[in-house]
Amino acid sequence: MARCDRVRTTLADFVEGSLRGRASARVEAHVRDCADCRAEVAALERTGELLRETGAIPAPSRLWGSIQAEIAGTGSATAIRSLRVLWRGAVAAAALAAALIAVWMVRPPEAPMAVPTVQQVQIDAEFQSTFEGHLSAIWVTPLADEAALGLQMAALGEDG
Amino acid sequence: MRPALCGLTALLALVLVSPASAAARAPAPAQPSAWDKVWRSEEAAKQVSAVGRAQTMIVLDGGEVQAVAQVHAERGKLRLDYDALHRKWSLIDDGERLVHLDPRRRRAMITPRPGFVLDRSLAERNYVAFVTEEASAVIAGRPTEVIDIVPRGEGPRVWRLWLDKETGFVLKRERHSVTGRRISGTEYLEIEFNVPTDSDLFGVPKGWESVGPSERQQDLSLEELSRRMGFDVLSPHNLPSGYVPWGRYESRRGPGHGTMAELRYTDGLRVLSILQREPRAAAGPPGEGPPPGRLGRERHGRGPAPGRGPGLGRGREPGRGGRGFGPPEFGAMSVVDRGGQKALRYFGRNRVIFVVGDLTVDQLTWIAKGIR
Repeated sequence: MARCDRVRTTLADFVEGSLRGRASARVEAHVRDCADCRAEVAALERTGELLRETGAIPAPSRLWGSIQAEIAGTGSATAIRSLRVLWRGAVAAAALAAALIAVWMVRPPEAPMAVPTVQQVQIDAEFQSTFEGHLSAIWVTPLADEAALGLQMAALGEDG
Repeated sequence: MRPALCGLTALLALVLVSPASAAARAPAPAQPSAWDKVWRSEEAAKQVSAVGRAQTMIVLDGGEVQAVAQVHAERGKLRLDYDALHRKWSLIDDGERLVHLDPRRRRAMITPRPGFVLDRSLAERNYVAFVTEEASAVIAGRPTEVIDIVPRGEGPRVWRLWLDKETGFVLKRERHSVTGRRISGTEYLEIEFNVPTDSDLFGVPKGWESVGPSERQQDLSLEELSRRMGFDVLSPHNLPSGYVPWGRYESRRGPGHGTMAELRYTDGLRVLSILQREPRAAAGPPGEGPPPGRLGRERHGRGPAPGRGPGLGRGREPGRGGRGFGPPEFGAMSVVDRGGQKALRYFGRNRVIFVVGDLTVDQLTWIAKGIR
C-alpha cells in the first residue's frame, strides 16, 4: 500500500508521458502488477480523453480589455455588464470542471476496469494465422511441451 | 616403549595420508543446480532414443482437451502420432522442419522449423528453478525428481517438471499460465529407452503430397522490414519486464492471409508476438464493430460508419458493427483466448495490431496501445 501511495503521486505525469527513464520504468512495473493502480491509470487516461474531447475554451478577446477598464476605473456600464457575463461563464466552466472531478472521484471501483472494453470473440482466419506462427515459435523455446503444442495446433486447425 | 611410539606414529601417518581422509579434507564436489538439471534434461531430449506413449492435455474454452500420443524420439528428432479430435494425425520435428501428416488426404503440411537459438541465461535471469519434494512421484515406472520454475519477481509457478533420475529425460510436465492456471501438460504412461527407431518415421511417406513454404523466416532490421511492408513498423513502448527482442520477420501465413510485420520477444521461456498490418479497405471480419457503448465518441475512421443492422456475416462478434463494411473504428479491440495463449486485435489509427502471448488481457491491451 505504501508503494501504491508513492506511485500514485507520479501517475498523472506517467499518463501524460512526462515521466522518463527509470522513474517511468518503475511506475510501469508497478502498474503492471497492481490492479488498483492500473485502474487509476485507466481513469486518468479517460479523464484526459474527456478533456481533449471538450477542447480548450479560448478566453474571449474582450476579457483583458474589460479587466483593464475596470482597474483603471474608466469602465463603462457596458464593460461592467460584459464582465458579469464573462464572470458567469467562468463560474459555469469551473462548475463543469468540478462536476467532472466529482464524477471521477466517486466512480465505482470497477468502472475503470471496464475501460477499455475488449470483446471476447471466436477465432477467425486472421487470428488463426497469428496463433500458428506464435505456436511454432514456442515449439523451439526451452521446455516446450511438444505433445501439447501438437494438440493445440490441431485444435486450431479444427476451430479456425 | 620405542617400538610402541614408532607404531603409533606410523598409524597416525597412515590415517593422515589415507584416501578417505584426503577426500574429507578436499572441498565437496559442487552439486548440480536445479537449472543444471533442467538444461541436462534439454540435452537428454537431443541424445536419447526412446519410444513411449504419452497422455497430453490442453485447456480450451474453459475445458480440457486430452489426447494420447505415440512418441518416437531419436537424437533430437521427434514424431508424435495422435488419435484425438475424432481423427488421426502425426507431427514430425526432424530438426529442420515441422511436418503435419494428414492421413485422410495423404498430405504433408510443412513448416520450416524456426531456427532461433535462445540464450539460456535469459531464462535464468527471469526465472528461479528449484527442486521440490512436494510432488515427487514415479512416472511410467521410473523414479523422478521434481523441479518447479517460478518467475524471479512476483507470479505463480510457470513450469513443473518431473525428470527421470537416471537419464534426466522429462517424463511429465505441467505448464501454468501467467495467472497460475494449469493450461497444458504431458505425462508418459510408458516409455522405453535405447530402442532403435526406423529413420523413415521422421520423413514424409512416399507418394504423399507436400505443401507449405520451404524457406525459414529471415530475421530483418526494422528498416528493412518497414521497407518490405511499405509502412513504418513500430516497436512497442510497453513491454512486460524481462522480455527482450528475439527477431523481426515478414510473416506470410498462407493464401488470403496477406503479409504482416512480426516482432517477436521472449523472456527466455515465454514468447510474445506482435504483428502489424495496414488497415485494409474492408478490414475486419463481418460483424466486428467498436466496443459496446463507445460508438461515436471514438470514431475517427475515414470511411462510413459501421452498420447497425443485424449483420450479414457469421455473427461471431457481437459488436454493433452490423454489416462489417467500412473500416472498424479506431480503438476497437477483440481478444481470442486459447487456453494459455491469448491474442488481442487492436485497430490503431493507421494500423491493425495483434499481440499474442501468455499475458493477461490488460497486459495485451497495454502493449498494443503502446505501439504509436
